[in-house]
Amino acid sequence: MLILTRKPGESIYIGDRIKVTIVEIKGNQIRVGIDAPRDERIYREEIWLQIREENKQAAEAAFATDDALEGLRTSFGKGKSKGGGAKKGLAALSGTIAKPVAPAKKSESSEGGPTVIKRRKRKKDE
Amino acid sequence: MSDEEKPSEEGDNIETITVQSTRFGEFEVPADRVITLPSGMIGFPPNQRFVMLDHKPPFSWLQSLEDSALAFVVVDGFEFGEDYKATPPIGDKDIDLTKEDEYALLVIVTVRSDPQDTTANLKAPIFVNLRNMQGVQVIYDNPQLSTRFPLWASDEENDEGADSSEEKK
Repeated sequence: MLILTRKPGESIYIGDRIKVTIVEIKGNQIRVGIDAPRDERIYREEIWLQIREENKQAAEAAFATDDALEGLRTSFGKGKSKGGGAKKGLAALSGTIAKPVAPAKKSESSEGGPTVIKRRKRKKDE
Repeated sequence: MSDEEKPSEEGDNIETITVQSTRFGEFEVPADRVITLPSGMIGFPPNQRFVMLDHKPPFSWLQSLEDSALAFVVVDGFEFGEDYKATPPIGDKDIDLTKEDEYALLVIVTVRSDPQDTTANLKAPIFVNLRNMQGVQVIYDNPQLSTRFPLWASDEENDEGADSSEEKK
């Protein structure tokens, strides 16, 4: 591992596109600023590890699940379908049916902050 | 496109590919339904291709073409309602998603032996750009989004929507 010493306010470039700045040191916490192109994915390590673990569990659990899914089927979606309920979304991808889902357009309403996906305008498939 | 593609035998012009699946055996799907994840699922190899298979609603399967034993149970992310703040990754290099593109949102389900313990990973859903059938698993930094959102809930709990509780800091 390359180890460099930096002071608050100093930076490191990783390639030409990524700049890491030590913003502040407070006790045992260090604030790090990262300037990177938007298409670079940046994760906190512990969250990345958590997702990896969850993916593995999901993949393993996907084996003997017919009964479990049967039981779940009724509870999921019961109170949740405020947005319209009809389960057309994934049909867009399935090997058997083909219908598009939601236009990405809506996301322009808010920059940066979380966007509420309210419109799930999907093409009619009925 | 892959060498596995071959014309279907029925003589229509739909190209199909043969999928080997530990769970479902061998079957054919239209070639244009193949979803590619250039970065793969997090923790799994890159450049994996998948197909979506219908299961009993609301569940579907995301079956790997490279690994017949690898499959994920998924649900439609839009089913979680408006409270699920799943911002699409506009500009993502893997899927080249633009504001004009239509996309699908897949939420991965972890099924456990007790169905009541089954959860959905709202923190790291998969987006698929329907224009190019490229997909990416994103991770949201939002601490309110849980990797283990319980699917089994009473009606009252359901009404709280997707970003309720469980993983509060």
